[in-house]
Amino acid sequence: MSAALLSVTGAVKHFGGVQALRGVDFDLKAGEIHALLGENGAGKSTLMNLLSGVYTPDEGEIRIDGEPVTFSNPREAQAAGIATIFQELDLVPSLDVAANLFLGRELMRAGGMLDVPAMRREAKRRLEAIELAIDPARLVADLSIGQRQVVAIVKALSYASRVLIMDEPTAALTVGEVERLFDIMRKLAASGVGIVYISHRLEEVPDIADRVTVMRDGRIAGITEPHTPQAELVRLLVGRPLDELYPERAKKAGKTLLSLKDASFRLARESAGWQPPSGISLEVKEGEIVGLAGIMGAGRTELLSALYGTGLAGRWQGEVAVDGRPVKLDSISAARKAGIAFVTDDRRGSGLMLRMAVGLNLVMSVIRRISPAGLMSPRRQAEAVRQSFGQFDIRPKNPDIAVGALSGGNQQKVVLAKEILGNPRLLLLDEPTRGVDVGAKGEIYARLRALAAQGLGILVASSEMPELIGLCDRIVVLRQGRNVAEFNGGVDEHTVLAAANGREA
Amino acid sequence: MSDQKISVAASPAASSPAATAAKHRVDPLAIIVRFQSLIGLVLVAIGGVIFSPRRHGEILFLNPDNIANIVRAVSETGIIAIGMTFVIITAGIDLSVGAVLGLSAVVTATMMISGGFGLISTIIAVLAMGIVFGVVQGTISTRFRLEPFIVTLAGLQAARGLALIVSGNQYINISYGDGPGLAPPVFAVLGERLFDNTVPVATIVFIIFAALATLVLNTTRFGRYVYAVGGNERAARISGVPVSMVKISVYAITGFASALAGIVHAGQFNFGSANDGLGYELTAIAAVVIGGTSLFGGAGSMVGTVAGTIMLGALANILQLNNITPATQLLATAAIIVLAAVLQSLVRRREGLGR
Repeated sequence: MSAALLSVTGAVKHFGGVQALRGVDFDLKAGEIHALLGENGAGKSTLMNLLSGVYTPDEGEIRIDGEPVTFSNPREAQAAGIATIFQELDLVPSLDVAANLFLGRELMRAGGMLDVPAMRREAKRRLEAIELAIDPARLVADLSIGQRQVVAIVKALSYASRVLIMDEPTAALTVGEVERLFDIMRKLAASGVGIVYISHRLEEVPDIADRVTVMRDGRIAGITEPHTPQAELVRLLVGRPLDELYPERAKKAGKTLLSLKDASFRLARESAGWQPPSGISLEVKEGEIVGLAGIMGAGRTELLSALYGTGLAGRWQGEVAVDGRPVKLDSISAARKAGIAFVTDDRRGSGLMLRMAVGLNLVMSVIRRISPAGLMSPRRQAEAVRQSFGQFDIRPKNPDIAVGALSGGNQQKVVLAKEILGNPRLLLLDEPTRGVDVGAKGEIYARLRALAAQGLGILVASSEMPELIGLCDRIVVLRQGRNVAEFNGGVDEHTVLAAANGREA
Repeated sequence: MSDQKISVAASPAASSPAATAAKHRVDPLAIIVRFQSLIGLVLVAIGGVIFSPRRHGEILFLNPDNIANIVRAVSETGIIAIGMTFVIITAGIDLSVGAVLGLSAVVTATMMISGGFGLISTIIAVLAMGIVFGVVQGTISTRFRLEPFIVTLAGLQAARGLALIVSGNQYINISYGDGPGLAPPVFAVLGERLFDNTVPVATIVFIIFAALATLVLNTTRFGRYVYAVGGNERAARISGVPVSMVKISVYAITGFASALAGIVHAGQFNFGSANDGLGYELTAIAAVVIGGTSLFGGAGSMVGTVAGTIMLGALANILQLNNITPATQLLATAAIIVLAAVLQSLVRRREGLGR
C-alpha cells in the first residue's frame, strides 16, 4: 500500500455552538478516486473546505506526503497542490474559454498588452491533453454545463495538480456528459492525481470510485468498497434501512380534481428546440400523488408552471377543468383561486426570502388571511407559524432566524409548509427533494402522503426516477411536452425510462 | 430583516416553538447595525455637546433655538427619506424626489399666486400630482421591466423640465393676504413654530408623516408586501403577492412625500423655484442607508431612517457651529455613509448570505 498523498486526522470544527466535524480521519492516495458521501449537514462540505483552505480546523491535522501542513487560505492549499472545484463553477460566462483559463494570470506581451494568441494556443493544448475539443475562443456562456465543468477542471489543474476535490460535479450533467466526465477523471487518476469526489448520487459510486467514505453527523460512518450494495450505503448514510424511505400508497382515490383533455399551451419565452405541446390529457384525483416523468426538456417544469398560470403566452387551449368546472388558469391569481399551489424547483431563487425570518416566509402565501381589514394580526400570524411547525419538523425550532441559515432539507420544508398553509386542493411540486438529504426526504414523503390522505391532490415532477416510483400512485410520462404513457407506482424503472426516451421497453 | 423578526417574536404564541429550541446566539455586530443610526445619533449628540461653542457657559448646541433649527432643517429631506424607505425596501430607488419637490413648490406657488386657487385645493392638487408622477414612474418601470434607476433618472429630468416651464425659470414669490393673487396668511404657518415658539411646524409635519409611515410599514398587509417584494420578488409573485401593484404604490408614496415636502418648502421659504430640492434625492438615500435599510431590499426600518435623517442634520449643525466649511461637511457625510454600508456588509457576510 502506498503512503497517503493527503491525510486528515482527528479533525474537529465548530461553528458557534454547532459542531460540524467531531473528529474525522480521512485519507487519499495518489491515483485514487475516493468518493465522499454524506447527507446535507453530515460535514462533507466542511471537510472539503478544510482541505481546500477555506476553513482551518479547530483540532486535528492535515498532512501531505506525511508532512503536516496548515492552510490559512485557499491560495496556500493551491500552492500545496490541492485544487477544488466548487458546485458554482467560478467561470465568467461572458469571457471566452482561454480568458477564463488564464484569469488572473494572463499572458502578456511587452508593453502590457494581452497576448491572446499565446493564451489560446496554450488553452487549446491543455484542453487537448484531456482530449476535449473545445475552441478556446468560444464564450463560456455558449458551452453546455458538461463542457463548463471540464473547463473548470482544466483551470483548477493549472493552479494545482496533485489533489482534485470535486463537489457534486455531476449534479447538473446529462448521462452522456457524466460518462465523459468520468473518463476524464479516470485519465487524471491514472496520471497520479488523487481525486476526492463528493456526490449525492449513490448509483454513480461503483462506476467511478476506488474507495468510499460515508459521513454522518460530523463523523465517519464507514469506509467501504465501491461495490457495496446501495441499501448498505443508504443505511450508513441515514443510519436506518432504505425501505422505510417511502410511505405506503393510498388505498383509494377520491373524485377528479384536475382534468386536462387534449389541452395545450404556449410559452411566453420559448427556448431553442422547445416544441409547444399539443394534446395533453391527464387527471389528478383527490388523495392521489401523480408523478410527472420525462427526460430533460420533456416539459415537466413547463407543464407545472403553465398550470400555475406563469410563463404562458395567451391562454390554455382545450379542456382544463378543476372539480369538473372549466377554469382558465391564465394567471397566478386564477390558479390560486382554483385552489392550486405551486412549489418551485428553485427554492433559493424563487421560493424563499433568504434573509427573512422563517416565520415571515411561512406566512407569505396567507398574508391576506392573517391581515383582516389590511392590518397584520400578530395572533393569526403566530397561529399560522405554529401550525407549520406542528406539521413539518423544521429545525431549528425557531421562527425568528433567517431562513437562509437553514439546511437545504429544512428550507424545503419551509417552502412546502408555506404552500400547505394556504389549504390548497391541488399541490404542484417541481423537484420536491432536490438538494435535500435522505433523512429529510423521508420526512417530506411521509408528510406529502399524510396530506394526500386528507384529500389533497399532488402532481409532482421529478428527475429522480426512484422517487417517482416509490412515492407516486401513478406516473405520467411526458415526451415533447405531452403525455405518452402512464404507469402505476412501483413500476420498473427501465419501463418508465424507455417510455420517456420513446423506445419500447 | 431584523425589524420583521420582532413582529413574529413579539407575539407570545409564536415564540412557543422558539422556547423549546436551543438558545439562538445573537451577533453583537448585528445589534449594532440594527440600531446603528440611533447609536450614531447619540454619538453625534454627545460630540455636539463636547465640541459645541459656548457663550456665557451655555452650550450652544443644546440651545432650544439651535435644536429647533436642526429638526426644521431636516424636515423636508426627512419627509422624502420616509417615502424613499418604502422604495428601497422593495430593492428599488427613486432619483426623482428632489426634482418633484421643486416642481411641487413651483406649482404650489403658481396655483395660489397666478392661478388664484385656494389653499386647500392647491394642496390637494399638488399632492395628487406627486402621486400621479410616482404612479407613472412605477407603471413604466413594472410594465416595461425597466430598472427604477433609469426610469426615475428620466423622471428627475422630466420634473425639472416641467418646473422650468411652469415657473418660466423665475422665482415665484408668495405674498400673503386676502384676495386673488395672494396666498392665505395661514399658509405661512409652515415657516413658524408652535407651542411657545418651540416646535417648528415643518418638523410636526415630518413627525406625523413618519408616524403614519411606521404604522403602514409595520402593521399593515401592504407593509408586509413591501418587505416581501424586496426580499425575493419571484417568490413573492409565486406566493400570490400583487408585486406590480406594490411597486407602483411605493413610487406613488415617494411622489406623495416629495409633493408634501415641496409644499412645506414653499411655505417655509415663501417662494417656489425650479431649482428647489437640488440633490435632495442623495441626502434622502444617504439617510435611509445610514438608517440601516439595505439597498438590496427586504430589510429596513422607518425609525432608522428618522434617526439617520436627524443625525445627518445634527452633524451638519455642529460643523456649522464650529465654522467648519461645507466641504468638510461633505467629507464627514461621506465617511459616515461608507461606515454604515461597511457595517451592513459585515453582518451580511457573517450570516453567510451574500457579499
